[in-house]
Amino acid sequence: MKILVAVKRVIDYNVKIRINSERTAVETNNVKMSMNPFDEIAVEEAVRLKESGKVDEILVVSIGQRKVQETMRTAFAMGADRGIHISYEGETEPLMVAKILKKIVDNENIDLVIMGKQAIDDDSNQTGQMLAGILSWPQGTFISKLEVVDKNASVTREIDGGLETLKLNLPCVITTDLRLNEPRYASLPNIMKAKRKEIVEMSMAELGVEYTNRLKIIKVEEPPTRSEGRKLEDVTELINILRDEVGVL
Amino acid sequence: MKKKIEKLYCLKPFLGDKGWIEDKNIIEPYLLEERGLFRGSSSLLLRPKNSKEVSQILSICNQNNIKVVPQGGRTGLCGGTIPSESGEEILISMERMNVIRHISCENFTITVEAGCILSNIQEESEKNNLLFPLSLAAEGSCTIGGNLSTNAGGINVLRYGMARDLVLGLEVVLANGEILNNLGSLRKDNRGYNLKHLFVGSEGTLGIITAAVLKLFPFPNNVETALLAVSSPEDAIKLLGLARSASADLLNAFELISRIGMEMVLRHMPGTKEPLEKQYKWYVLLEFSSSAKNNLREQMENLYVSASEKNLVLDGIIAESTQQRKGLWLLRDGLSEAQKPEGGSIKHDVSVPIDCVSIFIEKATKAVEQHIPRSRVVAFGHLGDGNIHFNVSQPINADTNDFLGKWNEINEIVFDIAQNLKGSFSAEHGIGKLKREELKKYNSSIEVNLMHSIKKSFDPNNILNPGKVL
Ligand SMILES: Cc1cc2nc3c(=O)[nH]c(=O)nc-3n(C[C@H](O)[C@H](O)[C@H](O)COP(=O)(O)OP(=O)(O)OC[C@H]3O[C@@H](n4cnc5c(N)ncnc54)[C@H](O)[C@@H]3O)c2cc1C
Repeated sequence: MKILVAVKRVIDYNVKIRINSERTAVETNNVKMSMNPFDEIAVEEAVRLKESGKVDEILVVSIGQRKVQETMRTAFAMGADRGIHISYEGETEPLMVAKILKKIVDNENIDLVIMGKQAIDDDSNQTGQMLAGILSWPQGTFISKLEVVDKNASVTREIDGGLETLKLNLPCVITTDLRLNEPRYASLPNIMKAKRKEIVEMSMAELGVEYTNRLKIIKVEEPPTRSEGRKLEDVTELINILRDEVGVL
Repeated sequence: MKKKIEKLYCLKPFLGDKGWIEDKNIIEPYLLEERGLFRGSSSLLLRPKNSKEVSQILSICNQNNIKVVPQGGRTGLCGGTIPSESGEEILISMERMNVIRHISCENFTITVEAGCILSNIQEESEKNNLLFPLSLAAEGSCTIGGNLSTNAGGINVLRYGMARDLVLGLEVVLANGEILNNLGSLRKDNRGYNLKHLFVGSEGTLGIITAAVLKLFPFPNNVETALLAVSSPEDAIKLLGLARSASADLLNAFELISRIGMEMVLRHMPGTKEPLEKQYKWYVLLEFSSSAKNNLREQMENLYVSASEKNLVLDGIIAESTQQRKGLWLLRDGLSEAQKPEGGSIKHDVSVPIDCVSIFIEKATKAVEQHIPRSRVVAFGHLGDGNIHFNVSQPINADTNDFLGKWNEINEIVFDIAQNLKGSFSAEHGIGKLKREELKKYNSSIEVNLMHSIKKSFDPNNILNPGKVL
């Protein structure tokens, strides 16, 4: 069985986000970048499947500037086998990524795609669903548990009010939620070995995908700052304020 | 005492409700040592708002022989803020003097009042893309006045030095109420004796620090953190030298963790996990940092490669994200907390020359284990600056009180070994009430006599924090 894992290089989860002066994008200059945390979980899940003997190869795909190769190497150090880097300078869009992944899935005879439920930079939460759509494959989204038995994947999803367990036929697309697993640290010996793993770099044109961006960012703004809360002595004070200051009573 | 307090009444209207406190319930927590080692007594707590008020208070106290105990965030570990049981001392808490007066991006300095909480100073500096490097686990509650008065250390000493190394100017109120304004920001200034350094580390016995000018540094946005497994403290020390060269001295942390300590953390601290596939006897947590886009990652990888070729490093990991970095630091920061559920612990904050750390750990461990069989030595800490927290946890299932009853014996064994290696029985935490006997025992009489004469000339009536240090 062959697994494809898609990884995105994003601003580190713990970095405080700043907006650029033109208010068109988030500042990424000299900002720490890391693998999208949901993708890390996807890589970990793929590696665990491989360790259990059910998987022959894990292919990592990333789209973006040259630097994404560093992120791919992290996936290699965790246990992925080889990579395809689609070089692209602009902003990625969910449909574009889905089309690229579809092409690679077709070329590479992939049996299972595992990806993050969303990337923490634009929080789109669309790519996995779109990919399943254009592949006409079943999809298991936001999963917190995965079991692969023969030609089936049984997934547990976190839904409002509980857990839902689905049985999907392979091939299928799976998107990960936070509780699926706890990713391992990549060990230094594996980091060094990962440097020798193969990354094939190509453009979208070389892959044979045509896509013109259809999303336009009009403005990027900070969320309105919340006014500071204050502590009140008792309910009477609360009622007075609701009446006199807020005017709702 | 009542009579004495009356002498201060003239200040009551100026100090106001928040500055003049006689309410026993409010005073209560100011009298307690956190671990229950000491408990003092006092009927008056003053909380001045500016240097002038501090000056007026001390002037009256000095004339009337009223003893005072300065207090900051009360996180000190040697009972320096606890008054005597006599009830004859008043408390002066600096907590309301908490204004950040000025930050200069050209001078790389920040001017702060003594009661500023350390983490507020760090945050204000960071807003300007600058770093105030003093950092310790109590940073959310300790004050800069307390940090300077104890010459605090913490996790960044290796690169940036102790509190003493970070201060350029001080404003101090002397025992007689005079205000010594030394708030300069000069990096070079050789006009006679350097008085400010006498107040640093004097634990409130020579004057009350009211404000300070501190050094800032470019903020190190780029950080690489690694956890490396080594087979002995000796190898860890060899690795330290390699790490300094490999990073062009951009090494800012080098912390030693023993397997016993690691196991306690993994057992008791939520959110921690076994970091490496296999278990090792010793670990080093190290960090490179830089304000520029240096290739720290490559330097860290190169360090690993060259150190493992020399068999100094057995395995390791590099944090791939800030989240992972936090996870690695939790293994180190959780060490103190993780020892609590393991029963009684006899703690030592010693330092020895870096090239003696491994002999020290070996000798002290052997001696302690001989004295109390099955006791568990948890040695960890700032290997990079020779400061080892040498803690001894009680044997499993032993009686805690029996074990803690051997506190002094164990102290003596450990301190003697440190002393023989030209080390210090108090690396970071000072003397306070707790280690006065040791000061007499391990320092030469020449040193102790000089300290007494300095104390006499700064505070002839012995009103400032009596019964501490000397
Ligand atoms: C969890 C924890 C971790 C710690 N880690 C470290 C560490 O890594 N390194 C380290 O060095 N220490 C450490 N400490 C010890 C302690 O935090 C430091 O010594 C700290 O610097 C004390 O600051 P404070 O404001 O709490 O001072 P306090 O405890 O209030 O006072 C300490 C001493 O200074 C005097 N003093 C306070 N303010 C003034 C002033 N304005 N003028 C004159 N005298 C004054 C007091 O009289 C007392 O003698 C730690 C403590 C805790 C609880």
